[in-house]
Formats: sequence, structure tokens, C-alpha cells
Amino acid sequence: MASISMRNLVKHYGDFAVIPGLNLEIPDHEFVVLVGPSGCGKSTLLRILAGLETVTEGDLFIGEDRVNGVPASKRDIAMVFQDYALYPHMTVRQNMAFALEMRGMGKDEIEQRVNRAAELLDIRQYLDRRPKALSGGQRQRVAMGRAIVRDPKVFLFDEPLSNLDAKLRAQVRAEIKALSQQLRTTMVFVTHDQIEAMTMADRIVVMKSGVIQQVGTPEEVYEQPANRFVAGFIGSPAMNFIPVTVDGAGLRMEDDRILNTAGIFSRELQDADKTRKLELGIRPEHFTVAAGDPDAIKVDIHLVEPLGSDTLVHFKLAGIEAIARVSPDLRPKPGDRMALKPASGKAHLFDAETGEAIH
Amino acid sequence: MTEVSETDRWMGRLNTVLLILAGVIVITPTVWMILSSFKFSHEVTAYPPKLFFTPTLANYATLSETTPFLHYGFNSIVVTASSTALGMLLGAPAAFVASWTRITWPAIVTLVARMAPGTLFLLPWYVMFRHAGMIGSYWSLILTHAVITMPIVIWVLLPFFDNIPRSVFEAAQVDGCSPFRIFRRIALPLVSSGLAVSAILAFVFSWNYFLFALVLSNSDTKTLIAASFNFIGEGSTNWGGLMAAATLIALPPLILATIVQRWLISGLTLGAVKG
Ligand SMILES: Nc1ncnc2c1ncn2[C@@H]1O[C@H](COP(=O)(O)OP(=O)(O)OP(=O)(O)O)[C@@H](O)[C@H]1O
Ligand SMILES: [Mg+2]
Repeated sequence: MASISMRNLVKHYGDFAVIPGLNLEIPDHEFVVLVGPSGCGKSTLLRILAGLETVTEGDLFIGEDRVNGVPASKRDIAMVFQDYALYPHMTVRQNMAFALEMRGMGKDEIEQRVNRAAELLDIRQYLDRRPKALSGGQRQRVAMGRAIVRDPKVFLFDEPLSNLDAKLRAQVRAEIKALSQQLRTTMVFVTHDQIEAMTMADRIVVMKSGVIQQVGTPEEVYEQPANRFVAGFIGSPAMNFIPVTVDGAGLRMEDDRILNTAGIFSRELQDADKTRKLELGIRPEHFTVAAGDPDAIKVDIHLVEPLGSDTLVHFKLAGIEAIARVSPDLRPKPGDRMALKPASGKAHLFDAETGEAIH
Repeated sequence: MTEVSETDRWMGRLNTVLLILAGVIVITPTVWMILSSFKFSHEVTAYPPKLFFTPTLANYATLSETTPFLHYGFNSIVVTASSTALGMLLGAPAAFVASWTRITWPAIVTLVARMAPGTLFLLPWYVMFRHAGMIGSYWSLILTHAVITMPIVIWVLLPFFDNIPRSVFEAAQVDGCSPFRIFRRIALPLVSSGLAVSAILAFVFSWNYFLFALVLSNSDTKTLIAASFNFIGEGSTNWGGLMAAATLIALPPLILATIVQRWLISGLTLGAVKG
């Protein structure tokens, strides 16, 4: 168990700066999820932590030690790879025992640990099979088992759930979370799936092009996104963004309709807002249906997606394709007209040029 | 659908024809060699060749009387087995490192050395070994034959190592393996069929290589294949004896290949480490 500290970390591949300079502190016991779009450098960062990739500049600390030059084999870190990377020529038992054997642990102790991990992951009955004879989900568990038998300083996961089907993914997600609460080891989990991030993380690190956009609890990144990128990345379906300018006490949309902003933001509009181009951000779940309310915006529904628990309605708002999540009891149909209003205190404003959130 | 299966059928037939053709090309000389070894010398060169004749063991009898055949066989086995072992010992780690680092130029150098005509090395080697007083020693043959075996081992094993997912090696690193342990515990077991293929190929090539043995051995360390040249006389050649010798020489690689043919096939088709 150990904390992790990255200070001015830089990684170049040739001339290409995958990570131009990154600072991140991960305290002991924390479950951190790195999210970001494909190619943003999540795996690179994880591999740097593991010691599989060198650091171009900056310092990396695990616990008290600066580990920049320490090889992977000496870092006492366990990693679950995206393709599991099980040893094909070894049985499940041997796969799990291997790292312990490399550390010179006694036979009885190894046996005990492997059995305990197998119990925990419910893979006892596969212990004498080769990885080839296992399903994707079973292999995934073996990969986890290989990591947890070790009791390492830090666990690293690189998108371990991406090969599983939706149902299994939800199940394993819950298992990993339960495991993390049981083991209390520092964990860094990489994914590009924001639902995984939201459900598992103590803290989420949102990355884009190798740059951290925001670090915060799932609630923080959802409720107070630092910028338009985070706002659009976290939450599903994604937040609606509507270009607006300040007009008196309201916001003027591009179709010249005025939106009454009274109460929709957690703060009042400032003078400074009046001179810049803005974007109004409203999550689909933060529209309320307000028939008869004079402040509501009338929209024409052109697509309906029933999800069972909710229904998604698609409509055009000031020329922008927008989505609202409404109660299925309304039974909306394409062609219907609906009166919608942003829920109070839930709307966001962003600077249209910099993308920064305006709080 | 029918069109596809029609094509498939034709491809199947073509395949069969080609295989038969290849078989005939490979087997005819072998059969001729074996049959000839049971004929008297004058029958060997008779035209048209006789398919039916009274077989004789005379050639084999002459062979065992006139030449220390077993002794030469022993020399061959010592030289071939040692040079194969040496080639594996040097070639397998070299192939692993070349695959791991993706630096293949040293491997290409060995290949070029292998493809260069042997005569190129012969003179310098002769001088070197002479100065070292090693002419006629097993070591001179073992070392020179390693030049034959090592490139074979490297080039057969390279794709096998390349075929192992990199993350498997990385997992081993994270699990605490030093590079040597990764080689021993992960890489080698995963290329076992490649090891078999490369060992057999190295063995056969070394077994059949006569040039170095011809020059660097003496009557004590002569290998079978070099000794078989005794039968090609100045004026006349003892064809029957030569064929008997050739048959005996061809036997060990043939037996070897038969024993391990299953490995050989799965190894050559690289079905190695998927899963
Ligand atoms: N060995 C390499 N040489 C050069 N560029 C590389 C190398 N490895 C990765 N990159 C580049 O670095 C960037 C980050 O890659 P990385 O694998 O970290 O992305 P990622 O965030 O994990 O993406 P994904 O979600 O698709 O796995 C990518 O643009 C990639 O092309
Ligand atoms: Mg990745």
C-alpha cells in the first residue's frame, strides 16, 4: 500500500508529447479512475506507473521512493492488462502462483494465497485449466486473481472490462469495487467508459490529449464540471450545449428566443458575462416538463427512445440537436410538441471560446 | 454458395496434384538411392534402370569391411549434436533478444554469413585453426558447424518469439521477472515447437554439410558425409558402395524427422501460442 505522486511528468515519443506535463497526487488507499477519449494517454500514464515505459522528464514517487529508474520487476505493483496477458502455457493455478514464486515465497504460503484469491473470485473449479479453456469473463478473473494474490503496493487496471459483454461488465464492475473496499490497496483504473468511472471511483481524473482536465469525486465532476470537455464527457447521454448571449435578465439563443434564467443557475449572471459568447449546458436529465409555464421553451420532438425507466426525446433547440430525459408515463411520440424548462440550479454556463466553466 | 464450393473443390484437386508431384520429385531419387544400394555396381549404371533385380547386401558388406563406418558415424553424431546444441545455446537467446528489442540487424548479419559460400570462410579458418593446432579436432568442426546451425535457429525462432503477445512479457516483468527469467520461464516454453523445428533443421543441415569436415578433419575425426567421398575414385566410382553409404547417412535425419513430424508440422505452420 502506498501513495503515488507525479510531479511535472513529461512523456515524449520522438517529437510527439503524449504527456506534456502532469501533476497528480494519489493518496494511499484511494481508488482513482483515469478517463478520457481514445489516445489521450491513459495507457501511457499507467505503463509509466508500472515501469513499462520510461519517463522523459519529471519525478514519479511511489510511497516515499522516487522510482523513475526502477524496473517494473522491482516496483511491487500489480497490473491487469486489457488483453489479460495470462501465461498460455501455465494453468490458472500456476498463473496465479508465478509472481509469488518469483519472490521466493514458500510453497504452503503460495498455496494458501492462491486458494484464498480463487475463493474470492469464484474460480476454484478452474484452477487446473489452461487459460485457453476459459471464457473471457473467467480469464478476466484469473487476471485479477494474479494481481490480488500478491498484496502489492498499487493495483493498476488497463480497461480490464472492455472485452466483456454488458451484463458481465456490470457484474465485474461491482466485484472490483467490492474488492477495492475489502483490500484497501491504492488502485488506478483506466477506462474510456464514463459509467465505469462514475460507479467505481473515489476520485475521477479526466484527461484529454495528455492533459488533466479535472480531478474530483464522481459527484464533483458531474455537478461542477471544470470545462465544456468534462461536462460533455461525463454523463450519458451527453450534456446539451446551446450557444447563447446575455440579453437583459435572460439568455438569447440563436433563434432569437429568450430563455428566462431566473433560478436555473446556482449563481446570478455577472456583468462580465454580458460581453462574451457563451454556451449554455443542460444535461438531458435536467429538463423538466412544464406545460403551461410561460417561461418554458416549446420544442418539437422528432425521435423518441424509450429506455424503460426513462424515455429520451430528441428535438432541435436553436438549430442544435438536443436530448431530454423525461418520464415514460408521458408517452411522448414523434411530432409532439413539449414544453421544457431547465431544472432549477442545474444549468451550466461555459465560455464559448475557452470552454472554461463560468461559476 | 455452389460457386464457392466449386472453387474449393478445384483448389483441393490442384493441391492433391501438386502434392503428388512434389512427392514424386522428392521420393524418386531417394528410392533410386535405396534400390541402388542393393544392386551390384554395374547394375546401378545400367540403362534402362532395372526395377526388378536380385538384391544383394554386398555393398553393405564391403562398406563395413573397407571403412570404419561406425567410427565415422560416431564422429558425425558428435559434431552434429554438439554444433546443434551450441547453435541452440547461442541462437535461442539471440533470437529472443532480437525479437524483444526489435533490433534485427545482428540476426541479418548471421543470415548473410550463412548464405555466403562456405569456401569464403574455409581458407581463413584453416589458417586460424592450424595456428591454434586444432586441425583434426572435434572442436574445429563443432565451432565451424555452429556457423551453419546458429542462423537457422535464430531465423526459425524469430517469428515464434514475435508471435508471443508483448503484454505476456510485460505481465512477467510486473510479476517480478528479470529478463533472463522471462526468457527461461515464459518465452522458451511458449516456443517449444519452434525449438523442435529449429533443432531438427540445424541437425540436418549440420549433418549434411561436408565442406568444412573435408578440410578441417583428419582420418580420426572425419564425418560420414566427408568419408563418403572416398567412394568417388579418380577414374572409377564405386556406385553401389556410394549408394549404400548414402542410404545409411540419410537414415538418421529421416528417422528423426519421422519421430517428430507432428511437432514439425504444427511448428512450421506457426500455430504456436494463440489463446
Ligand atoms: N510506442 C509509441 N510510439 C509512438 N506513439 C505512441 C506509442 N504508444 C502510444 N503512442 C501514442 O500516444 C498516444 C496515447 O496513447 P495511449 O495508448 O496512452 O492512449 P489511451 O488513452 O490508452 O487510448 P485508448 O483508450 O485507445 O487505449 C496515442 O496518440 C498513441 O498513438
Ligand atoms: Mg489504452
